[in-house]
Amino acid sequence: MDTQSIVDKCLELWRDPYDHLADLGLRGERMIAFFCTYTPEEIIYAAGFIPVRLMGAVRTITHADAHLQAYCCSLARTDLDMALAGELHYLEGAVFVQTCDTMQRLSDIWRRNTDFKFHGDLVLPIRMGEETSLPFLEEELRRFRGAIEEYLGEPMYDDTINQNIYIYNRNRKLIERLYRLRANNPGIIDGLAATACVVAGFWMRREEHNQMLQELLKGLEGTEPVEDGRTPLLVGGSVCSTPDLMELLLELDADVVDDDLCCGHRYIDAMVQEGGDPVEAIAERMWRRVNCPAKHQCREDHADFLMHRVEESGARGVVFFLQSFCEPHLFDIPYLKGLLQERDIPSLVLESELQSFSRGQLRTRLQAFMETIRGV
Amino acid sequence: MNDNGKMDADKERRKIKSAAAMRELMTKYYMEAKAAEDTNRPVAWITSGGPVEPLIHFDIIPVYPENHGAMCGAAHMNVELCEVAESKGFSRDVCSYARGDIGSAITKGGPIGGLPRPDLLVCCNNICNTVFKWYEELARYFDVPLFIYDTPFVRGDLPEHIAKYSMRQMEEYFSFLERVTGREFDEGSFLEVAAKSLQAINLWSEVLDCNRSRPAPMTCFDCFILMAPIVTLRGTQEVVDFYQGVLEEMHSRVEEGIGILPFERHRLLWDNIPIWYEMRNLGKLFMELESCLVVDTYTTAWTFEGVDVERPIESLAEAYAEVYLNINLERMTDTIVNLAERFEVDGMVLHSNRSCKPYSLGQYDLAREFTRRTGHPTLILEADHTDSRWYNRGEVETRIRDFVENLLD
Ligand code: SF4
Ligand code: SF4
Repeated sequence: MDTQSIVDKCLELWRDPYDHLADLGLRGERMIAFFCTYTPEEIIYAAGFIPVRLMGAVRTITHADAHLQAYCCSLARTDLDMALAGELHYLEGAVFVQTCDTMQRLSDIWRRNTDFKFHGDLVLPIRMGEETSLPFLEEELRRFRGAIEEYLGEPMYDDTINQNIYIYNRNRKLIERLYRLRANNPGIIDGLAATACVVAGFWMRREEHNQMLQELLKGLEGTEPVEDGRTPLLVGGSVCSTPDLMELLLELDADVVDDDLCCGHRYIDAMVQEGGDPVEAIAERMWRRVNCPAKHQCREDHADFLMHRVEESGARGVVFFLQSFCEPHLFDIPYLKGLLQERDIPSLVLESELQSFSRGQLRTRLQAFMETIRGV
Repeated sequence: MNDNGKMDADKERRKIKSAAAMRELMTKYYMEAKAAEDTNRPVAWITSGGPVEPLIHFDIIPVYPENHGAMCGAAHMNVELCEVAESKGFSRDVCSYARGDIGSAITKGGPIGGLPRPDLLVCCNNICNTVFKWYEELARYFDVPLFIYDTPFVRGDLPEHIAKYSMRQMEEYFSFLERVTGREFDEGSFLEVAAKSLQAINLWSEVLDCNRSRPAPMTCFDCFILMAPIVTLRGTQEVVDFYQGVLEEMHSRVEEGIGILPFERHRLLWDNIPIWYEMRNLGKLFMELESCLVVDTYTTAWTFEGVDVERPIESLAEAYAEVYLNINLERMTDTIVNLAERFEVDGMVLHSNRSCKPYSLGQYDLAREFTRRTGHPTLILEADHTDSRWYNRGEVETRIRDFVENLLD
C-alpha cells in the first residue's frame, strides 16, 4: 500500500473503529477490550485474543446514565453505554486496570450489568518505579495470567508470551522510528496522519500493524519533506477519541510535531526485556516506563518527560486534551502549565465530553490559542 | 412549669452533653498543633484513612486536611478557599476538600486561620486516588518529604500479595519516620499506641451501636461531629477517655429512653460524606419529619474489624488495606445491607457527592441492590460535601419531604 492509502485507512479506523471491530468479530477473531495502556497486551494476545482498545465514542447516552453520574468522565460513560446497548456484542470480555477511581468502580458496574464471558481486573500499585512495589506487581501479573489461563482452560507457555513480547517490542520500535523520522524531517508526514497510523494499531492484529508501519516507514523514508510553514505544537493529556482535534489544528495551519498522550508517545515508552521470565519482564517495563498522571511519579517523572519532549520537538505551544472530570490529569495541570510558562511556552487546556461534542466550539478555542501563539 | 419551660427542659434533656467535651478536646488539639509550628516538634499532614499510629508513636503531631476541610465546609468558608485554588488553575471538578486545602495553604484562610505548616506528608490512597495527586501538589508547595502508603484496591478477600506489599510499606514507613525524626522505632511502645487506637476504635464502634436502640440516642449529624477525635487522635489516651465518656452517656440515654428526636417515626441510613455546610438545615428538616438518620457508612468507616492483638502490625496493615472505600461494590453492598438490618432502618438516603468518585460512582447500582435485598426504598441527593455552589436547597428539601412522606409507618 502507498503512504496515502495507509493513512486514509487509519484515519477511517480512528473515526469509527467499532464497525471495523464488528467485522473482525464476523471473521471469527476473538477480542478482549482494554481501556488503559497499563494493560499487559502481550499476555492477552498470547492467549489468542486481539486486545482492542475502547476509547469512547461521540454519542448520546441512553443506557449508562442509570449507572454513572454526570460527573464521571465521558470515556467511562460512553464505553459503558455502548456495552449496555449491546453494541459491543463481538467482545469476549474486557480487562480493567486500576487506573483511577472511576475505572475501579466502572469495573464493578460493567461486571454486574453485562454478560461478556470474560472479566479481568488488574490492580496496580501507584508507586511505580520503587523497589517496594515491584514484587507486588509481578505477583499481580502472575495472578492475571492465571485468570486468563483459567478462562482458556489450559496453561500458557512462557515461549508463547515471549514471542508476543517480541511482536509488541517490535511495534514499539517501529512507532519510535516513526516519531524519530518526523523529528528529523519536519514536514515529512503531518501529526494527524502519523498519530492515526499509531492509533490504528489498537484495532488490528499486532503483526498486521507492524507490517503496515514498515510499509509506511519505507514509503516515507524515500520522500522529501515539504516545508509547510505550519506552527509546531505538542498535544498532551490522555486520549484523543477522534481525529477532530488534530484535523482542526491542521486546518488552522498548526501541526502536532510530538505528543504526550497515552494513545501516542507515552504508549510506547520503554521495552520489555526479552528472553527472561515473561511475566516478570512485562511487570518490570510497566514499573519502569514513564508514569501516567494516575500513577505516583516514577523513575522518569512525567513532568520531566513532557518538558523534554517540548524542548526536543521545538513545539511553540502545548494543547492539553483531557476528559472533563478526570482528576488524575486535572490535578497536574497547574503545575505543568507553570513549568511551561517558565519556558515561555503558552498552553491551552481543552476538556473533552464525548456526549456533547462540538467541533465548532473546539475550533473557536483553538483559533484563539493559535492567534496568541502567533501574536496576531 | 409552663409549656415553654417544659419544652426547654425536654430539649436540654435530649441534648448530647459530650459535645462540649469534644469541642474542648478538639480546640486543645488544634491549638497545640498550631503552636507546634514554631517548635521542633514535627507536624505531619495525613489523609483520613492513613495509618496514624506510627506518627503518634514518633511524637509527631498528625493534622488532617480532610477534617479541616469539613470544618471549613461547616463554617461556610470552603467555597472562598476553593476559589483561591481555582484561580491557580485547579479545576472545579476536582475534590473540594483538596481545592479548599490548597487554597487555605496559600491564604491561611478558614475558621482557624489555616493548618500549621507540615514538616512531612503521609498519604494513603485507601480512600481514593485523589489524595495522592493532592499530596503531590502539597509536597511541591511546601517542599517537604512525602510518604505514600499504597493500598491497592481489594476485590473479594484480601490477597496475600497485597498483604505483603502493605507490610513492606509499614516497615518502610517506620524507617521513613526514623529518618525524619532521628528517633528509633520501639516496638513495645508502638504496640501501646496501637492498642490504644484499637481500644478507641472499639469504643467508637460501641458508641455507634447504641443507635440500634429505639429511640436512637443520636443521629448521624451528632456522629459526624463526635467522630473528629477518632479520625484525628486515635492512639492517644485522651481519645480513649473521651469515648469512654461518650459511651457512658449513650448507655444512660438508652436506659432512660432518651431519644435525640422528640419523636422517632422513621429510621434511615445515610450513605457518603455529610453535606457539611447544610448539616444544620438538614438536621432540622429530618427532625421535623420525625425521621432519624440512625447509621451511616461514613462514621462506621472508622470501626475496622478484625484487628488482631496477637499480630498487631500485620493486622493493622490489613485493616488499612480493606477500608470501606477500597473494596468492591458487592462487599460494599453487603456492608450496607448488614447495617440496615442491624439498625432496623426503613430506607436509605444517599448523597451523590460530586467531589468524591470512589464513594459515589456505583451508588446507583448499590441503591438498586439495596432495595432488592432489603425491600427498602432509597433516595439519591446530588450535592458536594463542601462546595455549596453545586447545591440546590429547595430541590433537595422537596425530594426529602416526598421521600419521607412515602415511607410506610
Ligand atoms: S480519562 Fe481520567 S477519569 Fe477517565 S478513566 Fe481515564 S484516568 Fe480515569
Ligand atoms: S475524593 Fe473523596 S475520599 Fe478522596 S479526598 Fe476527596 S472526599 Fe476524600
